[in-house]
Amino acid sequence: MDLDEVEILLVEDNETDAELTIRALKKKNLTNKLVWVKDGAEALEFLFATGSYSDRSKEGLPRLILLDLRMPKVDGLEVLQRIKADEKTRKIPVVVLTSSKEDKDIVESYKLGVNSYVSKPVEFDEFTQAISTLGLYWMLLNKPPE
Amino acid sequence: MVLLSLFLVFIYYFQTNNIPNNTFLGCLAPLVLTSVWMKRRTWFAPVFLALILIFIQLLANRFGIRFYEDYFLIVMFIFAVVIVAFLSERIEKVRSLNRLNDELEKESKKLEDANKELEAFAYSVSHDLRVPLRAIDGFSRILVEDYQDDLDDEGKRLIGIIRENTKKMGQLIDDILHLSRAGRQEMNITQIDMESLFKNTFDELKRTHEDRNIELELKTLPPAYGDRTLLQQVVSNLIANSVKFTSPRDPAIIEVGSKKGDKENIYYVKDNGVGFDMKYSSKLFGLFQRLHGQNEFEGTGVGLSIVQRIIRRHGGDVWGEGKVDQGATIYFSLPYKNKK
Repeated sequence: MDLDEVEILLVEDNETDAELTIRALKKKNLTNKLVWVKDGAEALEFLFATGSYSDRSKEGLPRLILLDLRMPKVDGLEVLQRIKADEKTRKIPVVVLTSSKEDKDIVESYKLGVNSYVSKPVEFDEFTQAISTLGLYWMLLNKPPE
Repeated sequence: MVLLSLFLVFIYYFQTNNIPNNTFLGCLAPLVLTSVWMKRRTWFAPVFLALILIFIQLLANRFGIRFYEDYFLIVMFIFAVVIVAFLSERIEKVRSLNRLNDELEKESKKLEDANKELEAFAYSVSHDLRVPLRAIDGFSRILVEDYQDDLDDEGKRLIGIIRENTKKMGQLIDDILHLSRAGRQEMNITQIDMESLFKNTFDELKRTHEDRNIELELKTLPPAYGDRTLLQQVVSNLIANSVKFTSPRDPAIIEVGSKKGDKENIYYVKDNGVGFDMKYSSKLFGLFQRLHGQNEFEGTGVGLSIVQRIIRRHGGDVWGEGKVDQGATIYFSLPYKNKK
């Protein structure tokens, strides 16, 4: 896949959660241009085309970022803060997709300008439903700025 | 300390005895010194006393009465001793109070640490325990989806059991988190209209049980003082319990009313459900304690524990009455005006 034409960036350190998420998106044909990075540091390298992604063009930004909160190295809130602080990346819709239902995480995420906060259900059907709904909404229904 | 100051005063007195005009002023110095030495701002007391005495002496002189220097000194001396004794006792009290205060501060610091630890624990429960559960549930489901043809009915049944149990575990985790939140969430005390709280909660719950015939008999209820979110949780747990344990009844009748106590309002929720044996009433509010089999009624045994924790935080109490097959009544009391 051409890394410059990515549509969804999935930031998730847990492999099984990532697999379940990708499976749910695949059912709605949303995974053709999906990239999965395993921690916050890698997500930042990808977005700002540094480190292992330094040969990527800086212009090709994803249309949606699915962000886990608790990750090694750089956690989700820091990634969110960096994304929303940069003029180029702040327009990308960021959906926090996490197991945490803690109020402080929700409040903090919205303070940093998250576009949506979804707590991952434990139950498979609910989980699949939630992921495909939000995938369809953000990729098809939502109208981003040009 | 008192003795020491007396001693100093004595020495000073005898030394300065030959200089009549200055004697009583001379007494001041050691008094002030000892008071200052005791680290408290009590030095002004002897100074104040001396000033009064000087004033009296001047006044007396004006009216032609002559004070003997010696009498004068003795009076002042006794005063000074009494005051120093009094002050040193007070100082001792203040010191022991301070000591207690320090100890209390240390203890509360410990408590604060423990609370923070608990919070971190709850956070990690809410996050970390859910991840593997989701994997178990998700992948056993994927197994059924992708390998449908290779699994016979028994295989599917076994996977069904796995999934059912992950669901239960998820419910347990949620309930434990609710319980921990009920204990540590900050309380915002306001006046709450209990009638509408019960009514709204009941209406909401009824909507999820459209197939059943449930009636609410709501009596007049006095308002309560408490935290809205927490009391909402209490009401919702109690009504949900009643709805659950009246499931074999048609109609199910839930009665909500109140009584006046000495210092509190007592609210009760009564139903015509399956009830319980009073023999087990001590287990009613225990964590994970259930009085019915898992196959009879669903639940994790956390609901009433949460109710108890919330009510106790409000300074009230909660208790239950019941008879097998003749319904149950849960009472809870809330102080008239809760200050905390």
